[in-house]
Amino acid sequence: MRWLPSLASAAAALLLPALALAQTKIDFFFPVPVDGKLAKELTRLTKVYNDSQKDVAVTPVYAGNYDDTKVKAQAAAKAGKPPAVALMSANYLLDLKLSGDLLSLEPMLKADGTTHDKFLADFWPALHANAFVDGELYGVPYQNSTPLLYYNKEQFKEVGLDPEKPPQTWAELVADAKKLTKDGRWGFQVAGGYDYIGWIMQTLTMVNGGRFYNEDYGGEIYYDVPSTFGAAQFVEDLIYKHKVMQPGVLDGGAVSANFLAGKVSMMILSTGSLSFVRDSMKMPYGVGFVPKNVRNAVPIGGGSLVMFKGISDEQKQAGWKFIKWMTSAENLGAWSRFTGYFAPRKSSYDLPEMKEFMSKNPDAKVALDQLPYAGPWIATYQTVAVRKALDDAMQAVMNGKLKAAQAVKDAQKNADALLKPYVDQTALKLP
Amino acid sequence: MRPLKRTSLIVGGLMLVTVFLWSTPFIWTLVASFRPDSGGGIDMASLWPDYKPTWANFAEAFESGDFAVYYLNTAIVAFGILVVQIVTISLAGYAFARLSFPGRDFIFYVFLLQLMLVPPILIVPNLSMIVDLGLYDTLLGVMLPYFASAFGTFLMRQTFRQIPRDFEEAATIDGAHWWQVLWHVLLPMAKPGLVAFSLVSLMAHWNEFLWPLMVLNDPSNQTLTVGLAAFSMGTEGGKEWGLLAAGTLLVMFPLLALFAVFQRQFVNSFMFSGLKG
Repeated sequence: MRWLPSLASAAAALLLPALALAQTKIDFFFPVPVDGKLAKELTRLTKVYNDSQKDVAVTPVYAGNYDDTKVKAQAAAKAGKPPAVALMSANYLLDLKLSGDLLSLEPMLKADGTTHDKFLADFWPALHANAFVDGELYGVPYQNSTPLLYYNKEQFKEVGLDPEKPPQTWAELVADAKKLTKDGRWGFQVAGGYDYIGWIMQTLTMVNGGRFYNEDYGGEIYYDVPSTFGAAQFVEDLIYKHKVMQPGVLDGGAVSANFLAGKVSMMILSTGSLSFVRDSMKMPYGVGFVPKNVRNAVPIGGGSLVMFKGISDEQKQAGWKFIKWMTSAENLGAWSRFTGYFAPRKSSYDLPEMKEFMSKNPDAKVALDQLPYAGPWIATYQTVAVRKALDDAMQAVMNGKLKAAQAVKDAQKNADALLKPYVDQTALKLP
Repeated sequence: MRPLKRTSLIVGGLMLVTVFLWSTPFIWTLVASFRPDSGGGIDMASLWPDYKPTWANFAEAFESGDFAVYYLNTAIVAFGILVVQIVTISLAGYAFARLSFPGRDFIFYVFLLQLMLVPPILIVPNLSMIVDLGLYDTLLGVMLPYFASAFGTFLMRQTFRQIPRDFEEAATIDGAHWWQVLWHVLLPMAKPGLVAFSLVSLMAHWNEFLWPLMVLNDPSNQTLTVGLAAFSMGTEGGKEWGLLAAGTLLVMFPLLALFAVFQRQFVNSFMFSGLKG
């Protein structure tokens, strides 16, 4: 019977082209917000998926950073070639829904005989708000982060601080940072670059008791309020009053480079940087919660998988199948270990390989412990521009060109002007 | 003679300083790309190669993307655009410079209006057309919108207009057709303009990012800039400067080599004159 296998393979060779024809081809747009290895890994993952089944062929498409991915996906959608699946910044969902680009995932859930509550039950509660628009599911969380305090244990010891006790409050942060600041070294630093500073400001506002934006309505942003003003004033004071933070605007890469070089003793950066710091830091370091002034809180960050309108029914099913595969507990866990993002599914952490990873890397545990305090990430009408209104004002503050009190007023005014068309169409559209 | 010598010393010194200032980014990139352990330390900012050079960053950059494919695609796009542009801009430039037809100047100014448009606002209309033509996710789709160039047409019109008509008239008297005049008389004399335009066009399309990013999907169609961005745009992770520097050098190297090899021709072409004795 030696001829049997060869006969089978001959039959397969004849049948394969027919099967290939029946395949549904879909595009998967993804950004690379962390580093280049991720693009390769995502490309590899889609290949694994393509090889694992015959119905769907996914083309992995690298699409720049988060903003580029949004531009590319929207341009492609307008030109009639929407991507079936895209990895979008989690806070773009509302905006993309309002512009009519996103596909509601409710029909797919219904076809699977489930509801969004059941489907999301396994995902961390902090992630739910950014996945919904108007009570319908529009995204499945894929890679998520929160801000985290990183500190240099060696330098803590050097100035007589307990290396196991990172500062818990703003007062402790300032006191520790003053001790740590000396010639050629700053005590503390936050990233000030485009996008990053907005996220940092939301973080500081939330630990200052604020909400930053209206989670239930896309037309309101809270910049000129005590909680945000306090956060802005805190940043200004860290630089110009306490003199523990370098004046000027440093982007995330520069901040982590300074931290690795021992030029700054504490920094607030994304948990997404954890793998990089772990691999590159030569001195012992620790991580802790973001120090609070009023309460413990952090916004989430990262990206969700979404689907675009304008694709065929076959592509809808194919895209949904691919999303479900990508967001299985195993795949989310593997992605988390590869990138440093936390896994959006709770059950990922019950897997043996994840348990082993967590016991080897206690720093990843701190990021996880902070999750119960996490809240949603700013999402409004015209999210990017509204966020940039505060980005610009805060960068002026950090450069010493603007006072915090004026900065939040300017930001509020510019943001309100951006929100006005939407507000006029919704909350102020009265009978 | 003394004051003159001093002046030339000062001028020379100033030029050296300028040269140094202008080449600093390049020197840094070169030094950083060979630096071992370039995760980001204080010495990363140094312009001095105080280390044992390593190829590791280049090896990692090559690992991060399919550079052979990227090079080929970028070369096809940049040179393909240039070849077609040279044909279209010479013909259009000739028409605007030498032919007289009703509405010539008006059409020319409308043509120039193109220069006022910011490219990003054309992304969606251009992309729609590319999709309608069935050229989405193809290199031809990246090239097509650039086949006509307002800037090039303007440049060639000005260049042709500067050439004295005597040359053409002499050729016409000898019985040359307009295309023979263009090919044998005008184009050779317009070489400086063509060379200048080629440089600008090659640089622009070699380095272009947004439009290829919009049109291309398949990894095997990707160009260098998009490939480089794949490992340079990380904001949440740390910056791996050595890797970035190596990748940047890989992207710019072919253009640099091209310029080094053809430098004399470039400079000479600007000195070309039809009236030399």
